[in-house]
Amino acid sequence: MSKVRLVPILAAALLARWPVSGQGAPALDLTDFSGVWEEVIHEDSYERSGGPPLGDYQGIPLNDAGRMKADSHDHSEWSLPEFQCRPHSAPYQWRALGSVRFWNEVDPIGRDLTAIHVEYLRSLDRVIYMDGRPHPPEWAPHSWSGFSTGVWQGNTLIVTTTHIKGSYLRRNGASFSDKATMMEYIDRHGDILVIAMILTDPVWLEEPLIQTTNYHLNLHTALTYYPCTVSEENISKAIPHFLPGETQQLKDAAGWIPIQAARGGAASTRPEYRLQLKQGGGNTMEPARMPANAKVSPSVLAALPKPSNDEIHVMPVQGNVYMLIGAGGNIAASIGKDGILLVDSGKAEMANKVLQTVLQLATSVAASPAPNKCLGMHCPDSPYRWSSPSLAAIIASPAPPKPVRYILNTSADPDHAGGNGRLSELPSDTKILGVTFPPVGVAPSATIIAHENVLTRMSASVGKDKTAAPSADWPTDSYRDASYKLSEFFNGEGVQMFYEPAAHTDGDSLVFFRYSDVIAAGDILRTDSYPVIDLEKGGSLNGVLDGLNHILDVAIPEFRSQGGTLIIPGHGRLCDTGDVANYRNMVAIIRDRIQALIKKGMTLEQVKAAKPTMDYDGLYGSTTGEWTTDKFIEAAYKSLKK
Amino acid sequence: MRRRFLVGAAASVFGLAAAAFAHHSLAATYESDKEVKLDGKIAEILLRNPHSFLQIDAPDETGAMQRWSLEWRSSGQLGQQGIKRDTLKIGDEVEITMNPSRTAADHRGALKTLHRKSDGFGWGTRPGETID
Repeated sequence: MSKVRLVPILAAALLARWPVSGQGAPALDLTDFSGVWEEVIHEDSYERSGGPPLGDYQGIPLNDAGRMKADSHDHSEWSLPEFQCRPHSAPYQWRALGSVRFWNEVDPIGRDLTAIHVEYLRSLDRVIYMDGRPHPPEWAPHSWSGFSTGVWQGNTLIVTTTHIKGSYLRRNGASFSDKATMMEYIDRHGDILVIAMILTDPVWLEEPLIQTTNYHLNLHTALTYYPCTVSEENISKAIPHFLPGETQQLKDAAGWIPIQAARGGAASTRPEYRLQLKQGGGNTMEPARMPANAKVSPSVLAALPKPSNDEIHVMPVQGNVYMLIGAGGNIAASIGKDGILLVDSGKAEMANKVLQTVLQLATSVAASPAPNKCLGMHCPDSPYRWSSPSLAAIIASPAPPKPVRYILNTSADPDHAGGNGRLSELPSDTKILGVTFPPVGVAPSATIIAHENVLTRMSASVGKDKTAAPSADWPTDSYRDASYKLSEFFNGEGVQMFYEPAAHTDGDSLVFFRYSDVIAAGDILRTDSYPVIDLEKGGSLNGVLDGLNHILDVAIPEFRSQGGTLIIPGHGRLCDTGDVANYRNMVAIIRDRIQALIKKGMTLEQVKAAKPTMDYDGLYGSTTGEWTTDKFIEAAYKSLKK
Repeated sequence: MRRRFLVGAAASVFGLAAAAFAHHSLAATYESDKEVKLDGKIAEILLRNPHSFLQIDAPDETGAMQRWSLEWRSSGQLGQQGIKRDTLKIGDEVEITMNPSRTAADHRGALKTLHRKSDGFGWGTRPGETID
């Protein structure tokens, strides 16, 4: 090599090593994925074409519950109003149609990569946080994309995702649950992007689903506008599904591939499975070989903060409304200039902690001085007129928090109304609570409002001089019509109660915050169990279903079946319409199954033996505690027999 | 040979473009090996993404009048085939064929062919006039 040629090569090498500015750029492990990438459409044409037939689950490690869930799938479910604009979820999205755009969010000062955004044709902006933030607590809402954090391992981006809404793995009913977590390993090799996904679902998969997908860079394309409007796609108002034994899945899969392969399962994911089938083998193969760090995902899930029995957790919802977790039933709290309004009060024994929490919240939210935004002597917003409003704001001490003005009860249950008495009184033990209160007598006790059946239940005699609940807990006002509106705005918004007859009990109310756009659902909705149907207190399965449908009538998603109106369940995590639709579908499907078994003349024991809830037991079932799966089936059976 | 290749290539490109708007799985929703004929009046026209819908009032096999929901191509794809918002009108008398829903009680189907009685306007018989 001549000297003439060597010099420019050395110069180029030096320039590459040291920036011209001489400021010294940090050495980066990261790979830049920015740009629009197109799917390699022939690679997964089965998923990307007009759609797979029903019943073909080959390559998906479904367990028995997952198979039952998939077999019940009627594809008209996609025409439900709540699902027409539903986006593909993160685990499915990589194999869907359409391009994907990556772009980096960079701190303008520190130049740190704070997040990587991933957008798809028909989906939401998916954010992968790169700033080291933890995953949210268990009670945080789930989304179709989930909550993702990323770290670099060399040039590979490793993404951990939790809080995913349950959705489909294949467009024929094969699904993953709300409890699934996902790891992704994303690599760039020039203009080729490789994504390896490992999805772990303890409910519907017998082992993690591992898929790899390729994309290629396209410098001359862009994502297009993709509107979606909900309309009446299906005339039927039923929740579409096939009953066990009436499913069309087996019929469809037969003749397509060997039926044993179509049933899916871990063995069907192996390359050597075809050979094993020919040799007469079945589901006897060794477990998949997993990457050493693939188990990170479940451990992340296990590490998420969980509700504890002796601590109240606060989750800001939206507008004026906060969700309090840990008091028994969830509590919705409206905090603002008018004081505090609570929907439910939790258990009696947690009332002091609830009070302490909401008063501290009120101090920080509504009573603390805020930076003055109106400067000048004649500032029209200034209450001080001639004085300096900004100085007054700075020297002011926090105003005492205003007290609880209203408690609205969603039912008479002790874990929802047990704290009524304590929380409706002005606290006197200020040393215990550690905050300052208005002098006793300045503000009246809170008004407690519920449907009249709640008062009837709580004041019912259960023995000599004894009532079902202490009189201090009883509603001070009750209503008996289909709805009840607070007579005036509270914290700047209207608050409306809807009576839901014969649902969880005979006294259930939904509470709708009309400006904050939040619904407190009480025990009509709970994400931690099957619906509790209290037959002795006038509850019914169909009433719960009506209540869930009412929530969906009132609620409006922000975009693509997500966000918008938020729903605080009686127990469990914060929800939106997509979650309520998933739960409503589950209740309707199980209702239909039990109803069909009753029509066949089956006894309760025979219905239990038929396991009509088997596919959902991993999500909502229990063999211990107060509300077991057996108790739910019994209540549903008796309710439907009436 | 050359001509066949071009036709194949064009069909392939067209197929990809169509598939780019596919939403749910048609194979999973409808009975692709069954065909049902209906004779009725257009009641509603919903031109939209990812699929359009026509609703017609027509009798079922027992003679009872029903509202039927017929899935069609996306509004963009229909526009490329010359079908605009004023091509069909409410009350038009039409004969249609469809692949019926797997759940008969749903009264829905995937539109195969449409024929308007008043002027013979039709859809579903020319190349590309399919939903996918």
